[in-house]
Amino acid sequence: MKVFRSHILICGGTGCHATGSAKVKQALAIELDRQGLADEIKIVETGCNGFCAMGPIMVVYPDGIIYMMIQPEDVPELVEEHLLKGRPLARLLYKEPSTEETIPAMNDIPFFALQELRVLRNKGLIDPEVIDEYIARDGYAGAAKALTEMTSEEIIKEVLDSGLRGRGGAGFPTGLKWKFASQSQNDVKYVLCNADEGDPGAFMDRSVLEADPHAVLEGMVIAAKAIGAHQGYIYCRAEYPLALRRLDVAIKQATEYGLLGKNILDTGFDFDLEVYQGAGAFVCGEETALMTSIEGNRGMPRPRPPFPAVSGLWQKPSVLNNVETLASVGQIIAKGSAWFSNVGNETSKGTKVFALTGDVNNVGLVEVPMGTSLGTIVYDIGGGIPNGKKFKAAQLGGPSGGMIPIQHLNAPVDYENVAKLGAIMGSGGLIVMNEDMCPVDMARFFMDFCQDESCGKCAPCREGTKRMLEILTNICEGRGKEGDIELLEEMAAVIKDSALCGLGQTAPNPVLSTLRYFRAEYEAHIRDKHCTAGVCSALFKSPCQNACPIGMDVPQYMALVRARRFDDAYRVMMKTNPLPAICGRVCDHQCQFKCRRNTLDEALAIKFVKRFITDNATRPVINPVPVDRNEKIAVVGAGPAGLTAAKDLALRGYQVTVFEELPEPGGMTRYGIPSYRLPRNILAGEIDDIRALGVEIKCNTRVGKDVSFKDVEKKYDYIYLAPGAHKSQRMKVEGEDVAGVFGGVEFLRDFNLNEDAWLKGTKTLGAKVAVIGGGNSAIDAARCAVRLGSDVTILYRRTREDMPAAEEEIIAAEHEGIKIEYFVAPKVIVAEKGTVTGITCERMKAGAFDNSGRKRPVVIEGSEFTLGVDAVVAAIGQTPDLSFVPEKSDVTVNRWECFDLAEGSKSRTTSEKFYAGGDAVTGPWTVVGAIGAGHQAAEDIDSAIRVKNGELPWEAPVDEIDIPFEIDEESEEQPQAAMPELDAAQRKTNFDEVELGYDIETAIKEASRCLRCDAEV
Amino acid sequence: MDLEYNELLEEFTPEQIKELDGIIERHKGQPGGLIPVLERAQELLGFLPVPVQKRVGRELGIPASHVYGVVTFYSFFTMHPRGKHTVRVCLGTACYVRGGKKIAEKVEKIFGIKEGETTPDRMFTYETVRCLGACGLGPVVVVDEDIHGRVKPDKLKEILQQYN
Amino acid sequence: MAKLKIEDLKKIKERVQGETALRAGAKRVKVTVHMGTCGIAAGAREVMDTLMSEIEEAGVTDVVVTTSGCMGLCSREPEITVEIIEQNPILYEFMNSNKMRQVFKRHILEGEVQTPFVLAKVTE
Repeated sequence: MKVFRSHILICGGTGCHATGSAKVKQALAIELDRQGLADEIKIVETGCNGFCAMGPIMVVYPDGIIYMMIQPEDVPELVEEHLLKGRPLARLLYKEPSTEETIPAMNDIPFFALQELRVLRNKGLIDPEVIDEYIARDGYAGAAKALTEMTSEEIIKEVLDSGLRGRGGAGFPTGLKWKFASQSQNDVKYVLCNADEGDPGAFMDRSVLEADPHAVLEGMVIAAKAIGAHQGYIYCRAEYPLALRRLDVAIKQATEYGLLGKNILDTGFDFDLEVYQGAGAFVCGEETALMTSIEGNRGMPRPRPPFPAVSGLWQKPSVLNNVETLASVGQIIAKGSAWFSNVGNETSKGTKVFALTGDVNNVGLVEVPMGTSLGTIVYDIGGGIPNGKKFKAAQLGGPSGGMIPIQHLNAPVDYENVAKLGAIMGSGGLIVMNEDMCPVDMARFFMDFCQDESCGKCAPCREGTKRMLEILTNICEGRGKEGDIELLEEMAAVIKDSALCGLGQTAPNPVLSTLRYFRAEYEAHIRDKHCTAGVCSALFKSPCQNACPIGMDVPQYMALVRARRFDDAYRVMMKTNPLPAICGRVCDHQCQFKCRRNTLDEALAIKFVKRFITDNATRPVINPVPVDRNEKIAVVGAGPAGLTAAKDLALRGYQVTVFEELPEPGGMTRYGIPSYRLPRNILAGEIDDIRALGVEIKCNTRVGKDVSFKDVEKKYDYIYLAPGAHKSQRMKVEGEDVAGVFGGVEFLRDFNLNEDAWLKGTKTLGAKVAVIGGGNSAIDAARCAVRLGSDVTILYRRTREDMPAAEEEIIAAEHEGIKIEYFVAPKVIVAEKGTVTGITCERMKAGAFDNSGRKRPVVIEGSEFTLGVDAVVAAIGQTPDLSFVPEKSDVTVNRWECFDLAEGSKSRTTSEKFYAGGDAVTGPWTVVGAIGAGHQAAEDIDSAIRVKNGELPWEAPVDEIDIPFEIDEESEEQPQAAMPELDAAQRKTNFDEVELGYDIETAIKEASRCLRCDAEV
Repeated sequence: MDLEYNELLEEFTPEQIKELDGIIERHKGQPGGLIPVLERAQELLGFLPVPVQKRVGRELGIPASHVYGVVTFYSFFTMHPRGKHTVRVCLGTACYVRGGKKIAEKVEKIFGIKEGETTPDRMFTYETVRCLGACGLGPVVVVDEDIHGRVKPDKLKEILQQYN
Repeated sequence: MAKLKIEDLKKIKERVQGETALRAGAKRVKVTVHMGTCGIAAGAREVMDTLMSEIEEAGVTDVVVTTSGCMGLCSREPEITVEIIEQNPILYEFMNSNKMRQVFKRHILEGEVQTPFVLAKVTE
């Protein structure tokens, strides 16, 4: 026996092969030789380890330390450091994406630690081409027991008792299948293994075949004994060359050992096994089609009955099982049915292997007990969604399955529960999709697949899938029409009922499932020709423009900046955005999250270039627009929504009066957003331009107090209500009404109204301040408090990833010395003599998932602690204050204290005269969202008037700006240009603008990074 | 017979034809032997034009129409000659959600051909495939036996230039 | 190759398990050979070779061997640390092949610490 002090198990699965594991193995052998370690250290090539995205992978025993993404160049250092000197090489170890923590030992990595390895128990642990290593891990013990100690009936009973159900997708009890076949009388019977794993995104079977082929062989021997067969076939797809080779090696070795062939283990039982290579037809995964294919024909399914258990391959009784099913059998026999069923739940026993792929950090193979929640698989094992994107849905069961959306992350994954949610367990493909997934496009994709793979034998499948695909393609390309959804549903029902085999019967599932959860997106495609996810490219010019609530034509102004035509760039922006200087500073830039540049290096800094234009272009002179319309319009609230609507209506010739309660216009942009983010003169400049059109803004005038609601209603023909959301939500904790406790927006408003008093110190928060909340208001309040000289701690009840605040704001706050405590929630405000002196908090931990896909915080009992503070700012959310609307008005307010909109309208309230928009309808949202609402209201009010007057719709004056088209043939990787900033120490003492703006050359360089997705070449 | 042989000679050498006959011989009389024969034959010849199908059918005692039916049913078989290199873009779900579609569009643009076609210089045959099981690396482009993972559209030209 | 009988499966299992044992679970004894540049210069490789052949000869499967870098006591190299489960680790100094054989037989196999070679008894 040759003893080695260390074994290196290098993964030789398909994934790792593709990333170069063979070269790494070679380099390792050379280096071990060079260092004289070849006699001490053994290299073993294993099958798929499962952590495919991180390949090439190797595990060094005895320590069990796992290295990832190894390149041949890394090998000398690795050998020198770890194998010679015993120091793990940190740079090739695993880093947990959420915590950045380095984890050396494989079994400590959550991806591995949370799995329950049964079918995959040998993956990455044995050399699949050495049968002895399989035997050493109790391999063929099940077969030996079945052949020597058990009758056919006993085997079947054991498998029935275990509760094993077909892992290929349908979940039919395996024992029952065997029982039927064993009861068929015939001299010749067959055992077949379905290794035609065709579901896109599924590679469980491939991995099992590559990592542990003997487990499948052993299962087939047992099945053969159970039903009395002496010949078996493994039908394996040609796309899996490595699996095919490993199977050949395994069969050869097993035959040499007498574990296959005549007189197995000297028991007198014969069983021969052949591998049959599939030739690329998805339908051959269907059992009768697979048999037709082995017979040498076009692989078309046959009607059932007769069932294969009676008349299968060559009309003989046959049993067909999936790879994973067969790989489970050996252990069930060796360890007993009770062992198998000790994990799982009521109806689904044992474990299930999933191929976890798509938009998830840890792509790979995972095996978990049946009934494990989807969230556990995606987040705890899968490590969550990369690049800060949001989970949208998981597709289970491939083209025959369906989606499970974010609100069901707690759902246990087992046969019954998955079916209840409209998906199927399937063979185990679990594809994670983020917010960039379009459900209509996905449904089209799967229908395209089924249509393509339909064998053509039965009409419902052949014609039905084609028609459904046509409709879906039309919807995706902007030709969808009313009634399409209903037609899809009708056809789906017919095809499900009437198709001959599983392929056709399940083909409509993805459509039905996406309609169930994402019907609104279908409707947006059909009615608004809008693809929310930004996938269906026929519906938009560029993904940035598509993502923008006001459809700003980003590529156009980028092209103009590149051409140094800044004034024209400004004109382009003004076409859709009345407040570009504001947006250039505080927009939440949804455009940048969809920027195609993300796939190359980093999104374009659209917001920063926008700001550059407003800082550097000549502002066009604004002339008053003559009033030529009779209708008078009032706007309540001079925030972005109200101002936008006022401008649009003034441009159409209406007389517009804006009522604003506070001393200056701007709404939240004036009284919520601090001046270090948005200087007051910038804000005032843009508002002055709106005034210059002829819009009258009456400040210090609260409707319902300074002027009555009734008077406004009487005096004006149409009224647009856009009062925003300026009331903080209460914390609902004991003591929150004492002095020193502020609401977030109330504090910010007070500060912005009485800046002198706060700066002089006549008004003060005190030395220590706690800010509660994780949104932008909380960060704004905290950064203001720091500038007023306080020591600030933000308390947030969830994790940093869950914070709704913009990432750049959180970073800026940290730089300014603000402490952020996560998983902390307030419980009691401590006060002395009616003034706050402290805040008692509780620590939280992550619980089950909520509807937003975040883990709900739950209190850790006994974790209370008290922070001594002089003030508490509670910025946990805002609601509109709609108390100015009389109770008896036609305008109704809903339970979220927001305006109700009339059905079918995007801006009209329940009263014909009143329109509403902005935060007062949506709840706290964004500046650009409010601008969008303002545009919508102006258009709706104007068109209501014109329809009433029998006039033609308004046509916007044409402003032709020719757009240059200069584009780089090859794009070089180059990240976003950094925004120059005041440094943290400097800015903490004042309210000067923190971001300094790009200079000309930086801006041009940045604008030149635009890929011009709008271009049609 | 001679006519058919001459047809074969237009594309293949006498040695290749002899080897083809050997393949057929080995599977003669074996039930379900047609598909394995076609698989081996394609491995040997690169593609399966009608004359090859006729020869296989006659030797195995199977009607040529049946052989044709099988060849056209399975996506693995092709009746047209292939380029020196095969570029396969994976459009399995995992690759698709990670941008496989954009990769496919870019390849079409670079080659100026559609899926399933070969460039006029017979250098590249371009195909799309459904899932190669390398989902961990998506989007995946396979050139001959080399799997290129995490491919970005702008990097395609660079990858393809390695093959000539 | 001869066809297997039931009892052959068990034999293969026992034989191969010995070879693959170090891929699974904790072991009774862990020996660390200090392989810094100083250790190697002083003859740590020879000590390692001896240890490996002793293990092989004795046919034990519950001893694992690892390496480490320099401990900072370069003048006392070669050094090894022997850790037997639930006992304090023992650090031996100035090792060579003979001493290694003795430590292996007496300490690792029989549990008797070879005091003359001990540099330190490491306590937690």
